[in-house]
Amino acid sequence: MGALVEVRSLVKHFPVRGGVLNRVIGRVHAVNDVSFQVQRGEVLGVVGESGCGKSTLGKCVIRLQEPTAGEVLYEGRPITGLSHSELMPYRRKMQIIFQDPYSSLNPRMTVRAILKEVLTFHRLASGAALEERIRSLIEKVGLRPEAADKFPHEFSGGQRQRIGIARALALDPEFLVADEPVSALDVSIQAQVLNLMMDLREEFGLTMLFVSHDLKVVEHFCDRVIVMYLGHIMEEIACEDLQERSIHPYTRALLGANPINDPDERRPLTVLEGDVPSPYDPPKGCPFAGRCSIASDRCRSEMPPLETRSDSWRVACFEV
Amino acid sequence: MIRRFLGSRALRKFSRDKLALVSLVVILLYLGVAGAVGFFGFIDREDTTDRIGPDNQVGWFETPTVEQRIHALEFYLDQIDGALGRRDPAKALAAIDFFGLRLASTDPDEVGETLDEVAEPFDELYEVLEEDAFDDDPANEERLGDVEEGILGMFVEPEGGAGRFRRLALAFGTDRQGRSILLRALYSIKVAVQIGLVSALISVLIGTLLGGAAAFFGGWVDAAVVWLYSTFSAIPYIVLLMVLASMFLGSSYEGTLVPVYVAFCSTFWIGPCRVIRGEVMKLRELEYVQAATAVGFGRMRVLMKHVLPNTTHLMFINFSLLFIGAIKAEVILSFLNLGVKNEPSWGVMINQSRQEVISGFMWQIGTATFFMFALVLAFNVLSDALQDAFDPKHV
Amino acid sequence: MWAYILRRLLYNIPVYLGIIALLMVALRVNDPVWGFLGKNADQEAYEVKKHAMGLDRPFHEQYIGFLGELATFDFERESWTQQGRTVGDLVADSIGPSLAITVPAMALTTLVALVIAILSAYTRGRLPDKFMMVSAVLGMSISFLVYIIFGQYWGAYVLNDRLGTEVFAIQGYESGLANWKHYCLLPVLISTIVAVGYDTRFYRAVMVEETNRDYIVTARAKGAGKGRIMFVHMLKNAMIPIVTRVMITMPFLVMGSLLLEVYFNIPGMGRALYKAISENDFPVTEVLVALFAGVFILTVILTDVIYALVDPRVRLQ
Repeated sequence: MGALVEVRSLVKHFPVRGGVLNRVIGRVHAVNDVSFQVQRGEVLGVVGESGCGKSTLGKCVIRLQEPTAGEVLYEGRPITGLSHSELMPYRRKMQIIFQDPYSSLNPRMTVRAILKEVLTFHRLASGAALEERIRSLIEKVGLRPEAADKFPHEFSGGQRQRIGIARALALDPEFLVADEPVSALDVSIQAQVLNLMMDLREEFGLTMLFVSHDLKVVEHFCDRVIVMYLGHIMEEIACEDLQERSIHPYTRALLGANPINDPDERRPLTVLEGDVPSPYDPPKGCPFAGRCSIASDRCRSEMPPLETRSDSWRVACFEV
Repeated sequence: MIRRFLGSRALRKFSRDKLALVSLVVILLYLGVAGAVGFFGFIDREDTTDRIGPDNQVGWFETPTVEQRIHALEFYLDQIDGALGRRDPAKALAAIDFFGLRLASTDPDEVGETLDEVAEPFDELYEVLEEDAFDDDPANEERLGDVEEGILGMFVEPEGGAGRFRRLALAFGTDRQGRSILLRALYSIKVAVQIGLVSALISVLIGTLLGGAAAFFGGWVDAAVVWLYSTFSAIPYIVLLMVLASMFLGSSYEGTLVPVYVAFCSTFWIGPCRVIRGEVMKLRELEYVQAATAVGFGRMRVLMKHVLPNTTHLMFINFSLLFIGAIKAEVILSFLNLGVKNEPSWGVMINQSRQEVISGFMWQIGTATFFMFALVLAFNVLSDALQDAFDPKHV
Repeated sequence: MWAYILRRLLYNIPVYLGIIALLMVALRVNDPVWGFLGKNADQEAYEVKKHAMGLDRPFHEQYIGFLGELATFDFERESWTQQGRTVGDLVADSIGPSLAITVPAMALTTLVALVIAILSAYTRGRLPDKFMMVSAVLGMSISFLVYIIFGQYWGAYVLNDRLGTEVFAIQGYESGLANWKHYCLLPVLISTIVAVGYDTRFYRAVMVEETNRDYIVTARAKGAGKGRIMFVHMLKNAMIPIVTRVMITMPFLVMGSLLLEVYFNIPGMGRALYKAISENDFPVTEVLVALFAGVFILTVILTDVIYALVDPRVRLQ
C-alpha cells in the first residue's frame, strides 16, 4: 500500500522581529527538515518534550500552518502549494482534533449547531438526513442524544473532547491529526477517550498522526512512532520494538523517565544533564549533543543524518 | 442564540442587580417617549416653537414673585393692546391663541372697556414695583390680586383634553420666548435618542469591523487601522469635533443633524476599535477558530461568524458608553453653535438658559439637566452592570 | 533603550503626516477664502487673497509647504482677523492664560482624586467608599456646561452679591499672580469638580486591583498593617498606570480647557482656536490644530519612553 500522507523536507521557522525598524532579526526553528510517511490505515505517533516542534509539525501537515519550506503530499499529490479553493476537497479528507477542550469549541454554539455548520458547508446532508447524521455522530462518540442542544460549557473536559472528535469525524475523513488530544484530561478520562478513538479508528479505517508528549500513551496507541527533539527526528521505530530495540540516547532517556508501577523493580536512571537548547539559537551539530552522555566532538559539530537501519526503522546518531 | 442569551450566567447575574433593572426600565421609558414623539407626533415641532404664554414663567413648584406676576400681566396687556391697534381688531383679538388660551370676548369695544378699567391700577402697581416699594404697603398685594383677576378674567382656558394638556405643558414653566419648557425637554428626548442611537450604533459597527479585521488579518490591515486610529486620536477630542462640524458650515447640510453625526461617528469609532481589536487578538489564538479554518471556512467567514459574535458583550458595553458620550458631546457642540440648530435639544436649552440663570430663573436649565441626568445616569448604571455581569474581575 | 525611542519616533511620523493631511483636507472642504471674505466679495479680492495664502497651489504643494513650515517652527503666518499679528504672537500670548488654568486644575484634580481614591480603596465596600463612588457616578451624569453655568452663577454672581465685593470675576483675565485668584480660581475649581469623578474611579480601580495581588496578600499574612501596606507597597506599583494617565492628559494642558476659556472669556489657546474657527481665520486654525496634534504626539512618545523606563517588560517588545 502506498503512503497516504508523505512529508518531505518540511521546514517551519517563525520570524522574530526586533530592532529599530522591526525587521526580522532571527528565527525560531520549530521544524527542521523533517521527512516521513504515514501508511494508509496506520497510526503514526510523534513524541517529544515541549517545544520540540511536534504540534507545529501536525498543523503544517494539514495546512493550518504554512510550512516555510518542504512539501506535504496526500495520496502522492502535493497539497502545500494549493490555493484555498483547491485545498477544499482535501480539507474534507484531513481533519484535526485539538488539545484544549476548553477552547476548541465555540462557546456560543450548541453541539448541533457546530456539527450542522460543518455538514452544511460541505453540502454533505440536509433536512432529515442531516439530523440523522448529527444524531449518529453524537451517539458514536458516546454521548447521549440530549447533548445536541447543549452548549460547550455544560460539558466536562472529557465530554468536550468527544464533541471535538465528533466534529472531526463529521466529514468522514480518511486522515486525522490528533494534537495531544488527551493531554489536558484527567488520567482516568484519558483512558476512556483513547479507547473511543481506537474503536472509531477501527470502525472507520482511519489513518492517524498522533502527537503527544507522553511516550506511554503513544506506545499503547500507535503502530509506529517518531521521536523528535528540537525540530529534528531522532528516531523512527515500530512501537512493538520500542522497548527492546530502540537505541537513540534520547529515546532511551524518554523510556527510562517513565515511572513503572512496581516499586520493587529498580532500573538504572538515565539522567539527562544540561539544559534544553533554545530553538531560537540552535547549536550546530546534533541538537541533543549538549545533554547526551555519549556525545563525541563529531556529534557536536556535524548534524547526524537520519539513516535507515532496517525496514521502518531510522536513527539519527553517530555513536550508536 | 436567544436561548443561550436568556440562560446565560451573565443575564442571571444582571437580573439580580435591581439597580440595573431600574435603569433598563428608565431607558425603555425614554425610548418610548422618543418613539412617541418621533413616529407618532405626540409632540410636534410647533408645540416646541409656539408660544404658550408669557416668557420665563415659573413651573408648578414655585410661587411666582411679584415681579414675575406683573411681568406676566404686562405680557397679556401688550397682546391685547397690540391686537386692538390692528386694522381689524376683532380678527386680531380672535387670533390670540396660546395653546387654546383665548379671549372670552373678541368684541373690540368690550375688550377695550375692560382694558381701560385695569390699565390705571396696573400702571400704578408697575411704578410701585419700579421704585422697589411694593412691600411698603400691604394693600399692594390685594390690589395686585384685583388687577390680576381683571386681566386674567378676560381670558378663558381651553376645556377638557386641551385644557389638561396646556396645564401640563406649563408644569415646568416657559423659556425666554414663552415656549413650554416641558414640551421642549420632552421633544429633546427624541433628538437625544436619535443622535445617541445613530452615533453609537454606527461608531460601534465601524469600530468593531475595523478592529476585528485589523486583529484577525494582521499585516498591513492591522498597520493601516492602527495608523488610522492613532491619527484620529492625536487630535484633542473637542478640537476634532469642532473641525469636523465646522466643515459643514455654509453647506446645504448646515442646520440638519448630519454635521453632528459625521463629527461623532468620526470621533467615537476609535474606542470600540481599540477594545475589539484587543479582544480579537486574544480570540484568534483560541482553538475553535483554528478548527473552523481546518474545516475549510474562509478567513472572512471565520471572522464574521465565529470571532466577532464572541465580542458582542463588548459591543453592548461600548454602545452604552458611546450613547452617553454622544448626548454629553451634543451639549458642548450646541454651546459652540456647531450642534443642533433647528430643533430644541438639551444642549440648545442649556445654552439658551445662560442668561436666564443670571436673573435667577432656573427652570429651563433645571428641566433640561434633570431629563438628561436621568437618561445618562441610567446608561451609566447599565454599562457598569453589563461590565460586572460579563467580567467578574471588573472593579 | 535608544532603539526603542527611535522606533517610537519613526513610528509616529507617518501618524503625524496623516493628521496634517486630514486636517488640511477638512479645512479646505469649504473654500476658506470665500468663507472669510463672505459670499458677496468680488472676484479680484478673492484671487488676491487666495494667492497670498498660497491656496491656489495644487494640494500636494501646499502639503509639503505646510510641513516645511512646521518642521522649521515657522510661525510667521499672519492672522486674517487680527491685523498684523502672527500666529507666533498669538501662541505666545495665549499659552500663559491657558496654563494658568490647566496646570493648577490638573494638580488639584490629581491630588483630590488620589486622596479620595485611596480613602475609597481603604474602606472598600463600606459606606464611605460607596458614598464616594455613587457621588462620582451622579456627578458624571451632568454636563460640564451645567457645572460651568452654575459655577459662574453661584461662584461669581451670588457670592459677589452676598459679600458685596467681587471675589471672583464673572469673566475676563489679567495676567499676574495677584490677579490669579480673582480670575482663575473659579474656573479651576469648576474644572476640578468635573474631572475628579472620572479620575477617582480610575485610580480606585487601579488600587483595588493592586490590593488583590498576591504580594499584598503575602504582606498581610506576614502581619503588616493595612496602612503601611497601602502606602508603602501598593502605591508604588499603582503609580505606574496612574503616572501614565497623568502624562496622557498633559498635552491637554497646553490646549487649555476650551469650554472654560470661551465661557469665562479667558484669552487662552482654546479660545484662540475657537475664535479662529468661528471667524474663519484659516491660517491660525491650521497652525493651531497642527500644533496641538504635534504636542500631543510628543507627549505620547514621552509617556511610552517613561513607561519603558519604569516597566522593563515593555522594552523587550
